Amino acid sequence: MQAIEVSHLIKKFGSLTALNDITFSVGEGETFGFLGPNGAGKTTTIRILTGVSRPTSGTATIFGHDIEHDTIAARQSMGIVSENSNVYDDLTAWQNMMFSAELYHVGRKEREKKAEELLKKFELYNRRNDKVHGFSKGMKRRLTLAMGLVNSPRLLFLDEPTSGLDVQSNIIIRDVVADLVLEGVTVFLTTHNIEEANVMCDRVAIINKGHIVAIDAPESLKKTIQSVQSIEVSFDHNSADQLDELSRLSVVNRAQKSGDKFKLYTEDPSEVINAVTAYANTHNLKVISITTLGPSLEDVFIHLTGLQRTGEIIHAID
Amino acid sequence: MPSTDNEGLLKRLSCEISAAWAIAKKDMRIYYFKPNIIVSGLFFPLFMFLAFAIGKNTPPGALIPGLISITLLFSASSIEPVSIPIERRVKTFERLLSAPISLYSLVTGESLSGFLYSLGIACLPLTIGIIVFDTPILNIPILVVSMVLTAFCFATLGTLFAAYPTENVGEVMSMLNTVRLPLIFISGVFIPISVMPRIGQQIALVSPLTYGNDMIEYAYTGKSLFSPLVDILAVIIFILIFQVTANYLYKKFNE
Repeated sequence: MQAIEVSHLIKKFGSLTALNDITFSVGEGETFGFLGPNGAGKTTTIRILTGVSRPTSGTATIFGHDIEHDTIAARQSMGIVSENSNVYDDLTAWQNMMFSAELYHVGRKEREKKAEELLKKFELYNRRNDKVHGFSKGMKRRLTLAMGLVNSPRLLFLDEPTSGLDVQSNIIIRDVVADLVLEGVTVFLTTHNIEEANVMCDRVAIINKGHIVAIDAPESLKKTIQSVQSIEVSFDHNSADQLDELSRLSVVNRAQKSGDKFKLYTEDPSEVINAVTAYANTHNLKVISITTLGPSLEDVFIHLTGLQRTGEIIHAID
Repeated sequence: MPSTDNEGLLKRLSCEISAAWAIAKKDMRIYYFKPNIIVSGLFFPLFMFLAFAIGKNTPPGALIPGLISITLLFSASSIEPVSIPIERRVKTFERLLSAPISLYSLVTGESLSGFLYSLGIACLPLTIGIIVFDTPILNIPILVVSMVLTAFCFATLGTLFAAYPTENVGEVMSMLNTVRLPLIFISGVFIPISVMPRIGQQIALVSPLTYGNDMIEYAYTGKSLFSPLVDILAVIIFILIFQVTANYLYKKFNE
């Protein structure tokens, strides 16, 4: 049985079509990334899959339960960690956990045991009796995730789990998610951090303007745009003119500076290596490192969603 | 097979009740002592009542039933119009909407906190009546039934108005007050329905406060416009209408 099965889902808000006939499935135990630019339809999809919103047409099932007609049974097996850390600031961490468990009908003994285990795992147990309004952003995020796991879900919806977090929270959350995957929990992940999706997901779907434009394993998606290869080079001296000069090399399509390195996009990496070596000799520069890179998942994302880069920033064309 | 079905149904019902109770407990912990709730639920009805009662030749003890009625109206309907817009703003309301519970349990749970709050607050005028003014209560069971039903009716009314999809408490409160304030003038609290013009008497029939106040008057004085049974039935019908409408609106506004 599939964890999620979505068939010909359409959602309209008046004349706006937010989801236009999307179909996909997520296998049990799979970590599935759902990527797309803002306004692409990610949140609408999640709201339908969690039974908060109803589709205009089409169906979605969670472990065989129709989310529209068998909503409560479908929701019983899921945990939801929304993008906002939606915890109750005026309650303690422990009271938040108990409330979440009660909403999911977890028995008293079980919820106390589970809450203790999760708060320890997320390094919040020592603060369990403190009201949440004194917690940092990272602590609130960890508590949100702990609340989403209190009913031991078979399917976890994770919306931007590590966005803007401190390193400690980031590491804890990623470790916990990795453990959940080993335990066979299905994870439906939406994130703006494409590298996170690349590392964590078995498959990713890319949604744009209400359509699913690609759905495959990250490595398979990268193979579809082999033309977007690049050379990453670092010199012993950096100057302001180098980016402009490197971008004018004959076989370089685009150049980008990131930290002390230059990334030169090309369709012919070996030719660029020659050009860069010649450039270094001419300018008395020493090449510290030079690496050939294949397309990243971010390149695939940009290619498929019609976004374009300006320096380090990605802009929507429309 | 039927016994298995019944067990499943009972288990479902028990889950729904405990989830509704969990929502009510959460609201009690968070909102009961918020300043705007205290002002709206306790001081507002008290000062409103004093403004109309002072200067009348009626003995103070005789004013207790009316004070209980408007206390129930204002305090029961003051929690959800504050809590739900705030929870929409901080996105915790989404947590309730996506939980494995029915919308009826959500609406009931939300209403329960307003209901218990108003019963607690209404005990103040009740106690003052007994201790300070020695106001006699002729029918205690009817008083209990009337307070319970009236409190739940107005708590559901508060939850119904809070269905309006806004994150602004003021917006819900303004809409609610355009209904609550006229209610106290057309429901026999300050002006007896029998002395109202005919149009006023007809409007009074569609006010839930008319029946709640009538029951409370009966419990204190033994006199009422309608029989207590009619009052009880009317308030129950209002509760059902508010509950079904609230359920419909929460569903509609979240699509």
